[in-house]
Amino acid sequence: MTAPISRLVVNDRPIDLAAVPVEERLLDTLRWRLGLKGTKEGCRTGGCGACTVLVDGRSVLSCLALTHEFAGTTITTVEGLDTDPVGARVRGAFEEEGALQCGYCTPGFVMALTSLLKEQGTEASPAELAEDLGGNLCRCTGYATIVRAVRRVRGEAP
Amino acid sequence: MPPFSLIQPTTADEAVAALRYGAPGETVVLAGGTDVLSDIEEHRIRATRLLSLRHLPWKTLLWSGTSLRIGSTLPLRTLERDVQVRHRIPGLWHAVRAVGSVTLRHQATIGGNLARSAPTSDLVPILLALDADVDLIGTRGARHLPVDRFVRASRSTALERDELIRSVEIPEARPSAFLWQRVRPANDISQVGVAVAYSPSRTTWRIAVGGVLPRPVLLPEAERLLSGPTPAAPEIRAAAQEAAHRAPFATDRRATEEYRRHLVAALLARAVSAATARPPSASGVP
Repeated sequence: MTAPISRLVVNDRPIDLAAVPVEERLLDTLRWRLGLKGTKEGCRTGGCGACTVLVDGRSVLSCLALTHEFAGTTITTVEGLDTDPVGARVRGAFEEEGALQCGYCTPGFVMALTSLLKEQGTEASPAELAEDLGGNLCRCTGYATIVRAVRRVRGEAP
Repeated sequence: MPPFSLIQPTTADEAVAALRYGAPGETVVLAGGTDVLSDIEEHRIRATRLLSLRHLPWKTLLWSGTSLRIGSTLPLRTLERDVQVRHRIPGLWHAVRAVGSVTLRHQATIGGNLARSAPTSDLVPILLALDADVDLIGTRGARHLPVDRFVRASRSTALERDELIRSVEIPEARPSAFLWQRVRPANDISQVGVAVAYSPSRTTWRIAVGGVLPRPVLLPEAERLLSGPTPAAPEIRAAAQEAAHRAPFATDRRATEEYRRHLVAALLARAVSAATARPPSASGVP
C-alpha cells in the first residue's frame, strides 16, 4: 500500500529515504540532513516563501511538505541552479540588479520566479510576475530592486 | 513534530480500506498539507496515523457541457491555469487566485480547503454561489451533498470519519465574481469575501459571503432583490444594503463588525458589476 519508491533526486544526486523519519519535513531534510542551507527557514507555516524549492520544476513550500510524500520526485534547490538555464538566468538578474539586502529571502524569490517562468514561458508580463511573487516576503522591504530583477529577466531594461 | 505513521495509498479502494482501521480519531487525512501539517506540529491536531491522498488518481479536471467536475486533490494552481475555468467561471478563478500564493497553490487542494472548512475560506463562498456538490466516498459507499449542507461550522463538516472527498461538481458554468478585502493584498486572510453568480438556467442570482461566523453563508434575501442577467443600479444598491444588514458578521482581530458591514455592501455592488461585464479577452488581465 505504501508507495514503493523510497528515493528522491536532489540537485541530480539520488537520496535514499530509508533513514529519514516519516514525520520529517522536506525543509529539514534539505538543510540538516543534506546540508543544503541555501534553502531558508522563515515562518515554517507557509507565509513567507523563504523555503521555496522546485519539485519536478514547480515551486513548493518545503516547510509544508513531508519528505516521504515526495519520494520519486526531482528536487532542485538554489544550489542546483547551475545546470538549470532558466534558474541561472534568474540568479544572474538578481546579481546584476543587486536585488538583495540581507539576502535571507533571496533563494526563495529566485526559486519562485524560476518556477513562474518555467510554468508560463513568456506569456506573463513583469507586472503579473511581480504580483505572483506575492507569497515571498522581504523583511528588508527591498522590493524595488527585486522588481527590477523581474523586469531584467523578462528582457526589459529596468 | 510528534511521531506518526504515513499511509500512501495509490487507489481509492486502498484509501477507503485504510479508513476502516485504527482507533477513532487516530487517522488524519492529508491532502495538500498546507494547513494540517502546521496544526499537527503545533499540537492543535493529534495524529498518530496520517493518510496521504497525494498518490490517488484524483487530480482531475473534467468539463462535461456546462458542468465541471474537479478532483479533490487537484492542486489549486492547476485549476487556476485552466483557460476554460478562467473564462467560463470567472468567480471560481478569482477565488482560487485569492488562496495563499502561487507556490502554496501548487500544493493546496480544493478538497483540503472544503474539509478544513475555515470561516475565512475564499473557496466556500464561490462554491455556495455556484451550487456546487461534494462527492464523498467511504466504507459505506458514495454520497453527494450540496456544499451548503457539507459545511457546518468553523472547522466542522458533514464528512464522517470513514469518508473522503473524491470530487467537487459545479453543475453549471455561470457569470460570476469573487471579491475580497484584506489588510495585505498578498498571501493574507480575507476580512470579507463576496461571491456572486447568475444562473442562466434558473434566471436567478446567488450571493454568498465569507468572513462571517460560524461559516460562509448564502444570502437569499439579498439574492431576491436582483433580477435578470444585468440588474439595474437601484437593485444592486438594495441588494448591497440588504447584505450589509443581514450577514452574520462579528468583530475579531481582523476587522470590526461595523467595518465588515461597510465592506460587504461595497464589494457586493462591485462583484455584481464585474459578473455582468463582458468576459475578458483571452489575453486579458483582471
